[in-house]
Amino acid sequence: MNARMDERGSRSPNPPDPMESSRAGPAPAAARLAAALGARVRSWEGFLAVLLLCIIAMNALTSPSFLTAENQVNLFALSIEKVIVALIMTFVILNAEIDLSVASMMGLSACALGWLVQQGVPMPVAILACLFIGMLGGAFNGFWITVVGLPSLVVTLAMLIGFRGLARVLVEDRSIKEFPAWFEALGQQPLVGPFPLSLIIFFALLVLAVVVLRYSGFGRQVYVIGINLEVARYSGINVARVKMLLFTTSGFLSALAGILFAARLGTVRGDMGLGFELDIITIVLLGGVSIFGGAGSVYGVILSILIVLYLRNGMSLSNITGHLQTGVIGVLLILSAMIPNVRSFLAHVVRPGRLR
Amino acid sequence: MNGVPAASHTAETVAGGAPVLEVRGLSKRFDMTQALDDVSLTLHAGEIHALVGENGAGKSTLIKILTGVVQSDAGEVRVEGAAVHLANAQEAQACGVAAIYQEPLVFPDLDVAENIFITHREQDLLVNWPRMYAQAEDILASLGVRLDVRASARGLTLAAQQAVEIAKAISLEVKVLIMDEPTASLSDHEVRQLFRVARQLRDRGVAVLFITHRLEEVFEIADRITVLRDGEHISTRPAADVTRDLLIRDMVGREVDQFYGVGTTRTIGRQVCRVQGLGREGVFSGIDFDLHEGEVLGFAGLVGSRRTDVALALFGIQPADRGRIEIDGRAVRITSPRAAQQLGIAYMTEDRRKLGLAMPLSIAANVTLPVLHRYLTRLGLIHRPREEAAAEGFRQRLDIKAPSALHLVEKLSGGNQQKVMFGKWLNTRPRIFLLDEPTRGIDVGAKAEVHTMVRELAEEGMAILCISSDLPEVLAMSDRILVMREGRQMGILERSEASQEAVMSLATGEDEGGGATTGARIAEGTAP
Amino acid sequence: MRLRAETRREGVLLLLIVLVLFGFSLVIENYLSARLFNRVSASVAILAILAIGQTLVVLTRNIDLSVGSIVGFTAYFVGQQLSLDNDIHPLVAVLMAVGLGAALGAFNGVLVAFCRVPAIIVTLGTLALFRTILVEYSDAQTILTVNLPQWLIDLPRLNVVSYERLHLRVVVAVMLGVAVLFQLLLRYSSFGRRLYAIGSSPEAARNAGFPTRRLVFTAFVLCGALAGLTGFLFLARFGNITVIAGIGQELKSVAAVVVGGINIFGGSGSVLGAVLGASLIDLLENSLIRSLQISEFLRDALLGMLILAAVAVDSVLMRRRRDR
Repeated sequence: MNARMDERGSRSPNPPDPMESSRAGPAPAAARLAAALGARVRSWEGFLAVLLLCIIAMNALTSPSFLTAENQVNLFALSIEKVIVALIMTFVILNAEIDLSVASMMGLSACALGWLVQQGVPMPVAILACLFIGMLGGAFNGFWITVVGLPSLVVTLAMLIGFRGLARVLVEDRSIKEFPAWFEALGQQPLVGPFPLSLIIFFALLVLAVVVLRYSGFGRQVYVIGINLEVARYSGINVARVKMLLFTTSGFLSALAGILFAARLGTVRGDMGLGFELDIITIVLLGGVSIFGGAGSVYGVILSILIVLYLRNGMSLSNITGHLQTGVIGVLLILSAMIPNVRSFLAHVVRPGRLR
Repeated sequence: MNGVPAASHTAETVAGGAPVLEVRGLSKRFDMTQALDDVSLTLHAGEIHALVGENGAGKSTLIKILTGVVQSDAGEVRVEGAAVHLANAQEAQACGVAAIYQEPLVFPDLDVAENIFITHREQDLLVNWPRMYAQAEDILASLGVRLDVRASARGLTLAAQQAVEIAKAISLEVKVLIMDEPTASLSDHEVRQLFRVARQLRDRGVAVLFITHRLEEVFEIADRITVLRDGEHISTRPAADVTRDLLIRDMVGREVDQFYGVGTTRTIGRQVCRVQGLGREGVFSGIDFDLHEGEVLGFAGLVGSRRTDVALALFGIQPADRGRIEIDGRAVRITSPRAAQQLGIAYMTEDRRKLGLAMPLSIAANVTLPVLHRYLTRLGLIHRPREEAAAEGFRQRLDIKAPSALHLVEKLSGGNQQKVMFGKWLNTRPRIFLLDEPTRGIDVGAKAEVHTMVRELAEEGMAILCISSDLPEVLAMSDRILVMREGRQMGILERSEASQEAVMSLATGEDEGGGATTGARIAEGTAP
Repeated sequence: MRLRAETRREGVLLLLIVLVLFGFSLVIENYLSARLFNRVSASVAILAILAIGQTLVVLTRNIDLSVGSIVGFTAYFVGQQLSLDNDIHPLVAVLMAVGLGAALGAFNGVLVAFCRVPAIIVTLGTLALFRTILVEYSDAQTILTVNLPQWLIDLPRLNVVSYERLHLRVVVAVMLGVAVLFQLLLRYSSFGRRLYAIGSSPEAARNAGFPTRRLVFTAFVLCGALAGLTGFLFLARFGNITVIAGIGQELKSVAAVVVGGINIFGGSGSVLGAVLGASLIDLLENSLIRSLQISEFLRDALLGMLILAAVAVDSVLMRRRRDR
């Protein structure tokens, strides 16, 4: 990632593991709880939680149908492809890299699926082939980044164009609709209770992401590489392997999201998912993950997923068009990157003694 | 003369011209530490004024105030009699104060001539390239420096970059030039050239403030010498009136005593590592040594003698491309830190902040980092209790001053961070431990602890290779000392034949002629 | 005398362009014609101006991903004004476009330079934001050629000089003028040199006391202004402007800059390089469309690979230079 674009790096306010620093001391339980709560509210996650509550309250007041289970499932299902990819994007950005090619990979895998089905390839085989294409594309990104040593910003920008081009080669300007009925049903009908398959996959991946990032050795390595790549290298961590794995997974999950997208819409076009990378990156950055890597938590990302979905849903319920929603998200992205700076600026003014 | 109590004003009449820069009662506080406390200093036109002091004496703070990087809390700065307010670098430059550093800040993509002229405050709106090249050539020629003014600054040696910075200062017609440890990374020849340039500047009427850790250099070049200690002004004297002992006493505040304990006689065990003809294209070559259990092999040499590069080759960061490494009598190729670790090699870097520790993580996370696999459950999750127990063990054993093993490393002092690094690498249970400047930037107390620790590790049978620029330290700790100079091995001294003089003459190549700077480093090198 | 790295790079690009021309002339009949020159040069002009603006920003170690939206916005806005009032003086129309672009660029610049938000985040955000404002503002209406004043419709076919059937369009002349202006600015003005300096080493620039923020801000404003000019030319060239005008131009401009040898991490590159990069990309695109063997849809994929190859070659060369 082009982390040194601005002259000064700014870190997101929350340390990667806020639990670790606040566990010592035999203070009375109540006081400790209050202190922890206070720290939480002042942290980025706290701010997001308050913001989320405001949005929920506003939505619930303006539209009585907002809190119904049906609407809740529906609003998730409508953006499920983005939030799935946002999970892996969290890892990638924590690693101080970026993957701009995810939306194009979604488009490519969806189009490849349509094309394969059109050629008479059986559906399960086609799905597996598309997932493989995703891994291959991700590994291709990873190769240029880890082996050749190019900045991921440039590589994935090129592949944003490249994957999209391949998608268009496959379907040209047609749309393909010839999917079997069971495939469309999988994308559109509830599978377990009120939840469609895509939502179940998302929840499974969410649990996996939390566990890996917070509790696994691999998650620790992701953080350390993001904090300081050289320290990781000197500690014997195989940096190239971690990055390769992340980009391959990113390609794989993007392809999976593309297939789910195809199933939900029941049709495939060359411009599927165009511009989704913006939404996905916005969700991750708004969640408090530092664009310079190494700082942020998966909980912040969960909150920010909810904020973005509820905000969009609320706007839809109030008949605000999709384009305006995108604009609001864009503003949110800029604000989210600015607030830590403004805060540190204020801290600077309040305590002028610290000049370092 | 030696007994004269230091008064800052006694010597002022001695030096040449009129006072150019006067500093009066400067104070500066950073959070908890008083970096400068009521310091006064006068620089005259046409003098070279040395500023010396141990780490934390306040030299860097003084320089930062004079160059407008930080602002003082109290006191004033006068240039040619007029009080000035140095709010930023440009104002300092406008007042005629400029600085060059050990590692100059050049623009790598711009060419030499542009680097000289681009910072001019009143640069013309348009660049006249031919005239700029001509002027750059003139200035460099007047300094006796041969450089292609059209070559890009990327790839210039440090010495050449300094020359560019000096040329810049001349083109700005500076009145005061601050040289902050300019010689720390230069070869002898380059130091000679730098001194010649500094004298030229003096003869042109520039006041040069020269900061260095090498006392021999001070005596060679300075007209007057000012000593700072703990942020206070201790003395200013004409160089002719100062002896080495007096200077050291002023710097340290006591007679120099050896706080390095005399090395106990250890039993040297069997050979664990043998290196023959090790080299890396364009970096170092011809390194031969063997290393035994329970032995401390010191690596001495001036900064820039490529000692760290040899360690990095052994640790697989920059693999060697020629020669042979044997571990336990078996030839090995070490191409990654992981491979080195598996052979029982650990390398503790000299640069904690950039290469050593993940600052925003806990002590526990850092200590387990290189061997994280040992703390994983079968599912690949981190076994927190086991991790914390291990870190807690090191916290107690190494006496790391922190409330718990979950404390964040960035909140620790330098000495304690150093101990965390020790813990991190001891946790890999190395048999061969490469230490790079293990006492750099830590206070005297922590230093002694590190020395004890190294000795204990050796007594337990570990083979230790210790790079240090602190000569008395190397002499006291090592069983043998390998001396390097400019990427070549100059020899290995046995304990019995090792002395400061013997090491320095190898390190500086004094025998090869030319009065070299035998810079025994009294205070250890500081990174800026 | 040694050649500057930039000069060498420009030579390689020229050679590549010649090779592409030669290659396609073997495949396509009547390829090398006056028509090709007229068509490609006019189309290159638009991309090249945008790439020159992008160059200014990239030199300072930043990036502007919002230029596509700025192009669309100015094209639509100026087109609308001209449709409403055909009597607006051409010069006023151009100034309107440039001014609007500069204002949008200033918005980016304030956020990057003074609020210290990374450029990639800011411009990803404004990429969406500017487009949104356009969509809202336009109410999904379309600017139609028939409503535009005649001089604007004639503009793309207007020639400065002609030699037989070879025409130098006004648009191309404008681009050449802009290129020469900015090449001189970057090479000879102290402002231009300081843009290089900032990108080359932000730390040294700060230490030297450059007004870094103001310089970066100015780079964004100029980039916006040039995007505004591009928007005007876009309007002249296509006439019919919908709310999706200029989508994807940001990527093409970054591609042109990268292929043109401007280091994505700032500090090196030239305007001439950007123009040659834009030419190569546009020439390839145009020729691929005409070459029947290759699907027109493949060109994006090839474009992506071209960028990768250009950057990879650059990085390998740079590494070799540093190793020496």
